[in-house]
Amino acid sequence: MSASAGLGAPLLVWLTTTDHKRIGILYGVAAFGFFLLGGLLALVMRLELSAPGLQVVDVQTYDQSFTMHGTIMMLLFGTPMVAAFANYFVPLQVGAADMVFPRLNALSFWLFLSGGLIVLSGYLVQGGPADVGWTGYAPLSELPYSTTTGTDLWIVGLALTGVASILGAINFVATIYTRRAPGLSMFRLPMFCWTILVTSLLILFAFPAVTTALALLLLDRRFGATFFVAAEGGDPILWQHLFWFFGHPEVYILALPFFGILSEVIPVFSRKPLFGYRLMVLATILIGVLSMGVWAHHMFTTGAISLPFFTLSSFLIAVPTGIKIFNWLATMIGGRLTFPTPMLFATGFIYLFTIGGITGVIVASAPLDFHFQDTYFVVAHLHNVLVGGSLMGIFAGLYFWFPKITGRALGERLGKAHFWLWTVGFIVTFLPQYQLGAEGMPRRYADYPAELGWTTLNGVSTIGSGLLGLGVLAFLVNVALTLRRPPDQPADPWGGNALEWWTSSPPPAHNFESLPPIRSNRPVYDARRAAEGGGRSGTAGPP
Amino acid sequence: MRRAVPATFALALVAGACVAPAATAEGRQIEALYTAFLVIAALVALVVFGLATFAIVRYRFVPRAAGIEPRQVHGNNLVEVIWTAVPLLIVGGLFAGSLAVLARTEARSAEPVVEIQVEAFRWGWTFSYPDEGVQVSGFGNPGPEIVVPIDRPVRLSLTSADVAHSWFVPRFLFKRDAIPGRTNTFEITVEEPGTYRGQCAEFCGIGHSQMPFGVRAVSEDEYRAWLEQASGDQG
Repeated sequence: MSASAGLGAPLLVWLTTTDHKRIGILYGVAAFGFFLLGGLLALVMRLELSAPGLQVVDVQTYDQSFTMHGTIMMLLFGTPMVAAFANYFVPLQVGAADMVFPRLNALSFWLFLSGGLIVLSGYLVQGGPADVGWTGYAPLSELPYSTTTGTDLWIVGLALTGVASILGAINFVATIYTRRAPGLSMFRLPMFCWTILVTSLLILFAFPAVTTALALLLLDRRFGATFFVAAEGGDPILWQHLFWFFGHPEVYILALPFFGILSEVIPVFSRKPLFGYRLMVLATILIGVLSMGVWAHHMFTTGAISLPFFTLSSFLIAVPTGIKIFNWLATMIGGRLTFPTPMLFATGFIYLFTIGGITGVIVASAPLDFHFQDTYFVVAHLHNVLVGGSLMGIFAGLYFWFPKITGRALGERLGKAHFWLWTVGFIVTFLPQYQLGAEGMPRRYADYPAELGWTTLNGVSTIGSGLLGLGVLAFLVNVALTLRRPPDQPADPWGGNALEWWTSSPPPAHNFESLPPIRSNRPVYDARRAAEGGGRSGTAGPP
Repeated sequence: MRRAVPATFALALVAGACVAPAATAEGRQIEALYTAFLVIAALVALVVFGLATFAIVRYRFVPRAAGIEPRQVHGNNLVEVIWTAVPLLIVGGLFAGSLAVLARTEARSAEPVVEIQVEAFRWGWTFSYPDEGVQVSGFGNPGPEIVVPIDRPVRLSLTSADVAHSWFVPRFLFKRDAIPGRTNTFEITVEEPGTYRGQCAEFCGIGHSQMPFGVRAVSEDEYRAWLEQASGDQG
């Protein structure tokens, strides 16, 4: 990082950069900014639901809040957060100097940011932002029912972020296939890279479907087409198929990379190799393949799909997911476990994600889904997977790799406070929602009658959301305090396994001065052992 | 305290998501299936939480282990086959149970049934009994109320006048979507007399939370009397 006299020069560097590390940081900072906004919207909704009646916002604002909350968290935070980690660490983990297509990479980021800002610009137009739910179900999203220009901006903005994701995915696949260092065969690839490879392939299959659906919807709304208008020969179910053909793989796009992060973090803090590496690779591929065939389990109550097929395919995906959990546990068993913040988040993930996986099997059963579909049970399940799962993985990754990215380690005390606030906050917020859903409280209700007995649990849930907010605050304070200190981290502060720990923290612009011999999926571990004189082979010295 | 955490999780899972007792024959099957799922869920959760807690307690780093590297185990084919095969068997069983209940919820009876046509609209419901010439329509709170006889299959044909809605009665543990251009047909057999609150479960705009309806289940005689009165009112 060059110290510069004016503000213009560093700004120009960031605006024109094609360095995968800087693009990764841009992705991460932008995505986290969107996350804070999406989180605020969630707090507004929880405040509104804390008691019957309308206290905080009107119904239209509530509807727009959950639309934007879902859109932001899934597509402007979750997906680009994957791109942030992948951008920074795929080239480092494969021992490359950059991505294959650096300029395409920069284009991906700026397309994503433009698209995201276009979605948000709905707040500036009369009528406000989109009010159709993040799922944008037709015909509710057709012009007669959603009259705000915000919905058109939502369509156009999301189409742009979709193109950004597709271009990014091409880049990751190409980089992993062609830029691996000598000796780094596919079966020596770090699990994080494997999950990014499968995720990228999922993006390539899934995102064109939603981009198409968005284009058709825009044609319907503004150019007289009738793709989703039943009275004119169109079909509302077609929207649901196209949307969920993207939407369910999207869930795994937001899960697999964080499974990958867990597979990096847990071995390091267990002082053991990942248990069953090859089975983990196979499970990752199986999850990817199966996730393409489960989309209509979101449509069990439409009466328009094969119930047995989508029940079975959805059940089957639990098997490779279970394999991953058991392999992580087997990695920990027999290890020498330490619990700095990244490992705390990884361990918390195992507990919380397991609940989400199990309740996922419940809603995967078509007859049970007849009751739970579109209730708070589903809301609890999906947040269980995304907040108790993906976000735990994101935080595990941020604490794990922060020293590599900035040369500074995040504070442990605030990190632990963050972890406990997040874990307890998750339990208090979302476990009551399972019960609310079981009692039949539908989602996307701005209000509920007092006599149905849903008030207490909603109040508890709102308190929990405050704890989650405090957790994020602890994280932000931690980052701010840490960045004020001078960089002091060595190349390999944790005793890492993959190649990113071979180079300095932060890495130089070209990433590596040298590479160790790569004879396993833990080249940095091998080199460390060799340097200690205990290794079976290897002659590398320190970098 | 660490041991208490998994126990709390498992308890929360079992005790924390109880459905109200089902009032229909179909709902009772769904309820029984759900109970079976919850038991298996609790067992799976106990195994995972147990193993995780065991690992944390037993293999936590202690200073006297400093410098000792744990055995570098890369895997074990036998245990990996076990935790692939056992979950496969479990989901196989869950699938069989789900199929059995689906056979019931998707069944259509041959004998004469009560037929009701339902049209959802923003933001209310119209229920028609075509054979009896009775129509009940309304919006707002408390919304329209239909009357059905107990212990007889009631066939509902569901569609929408505008956007997608969903017909959901929590005490029946059942919902089905009302979609413009489509007609969804299903049957319920209410076994317990009473009045059951229904609501819309598919987001349909600003009145989404304000379109409840009622289903009053009564004896055959009371149902006949109600029909007579209702058709008289409308005639």
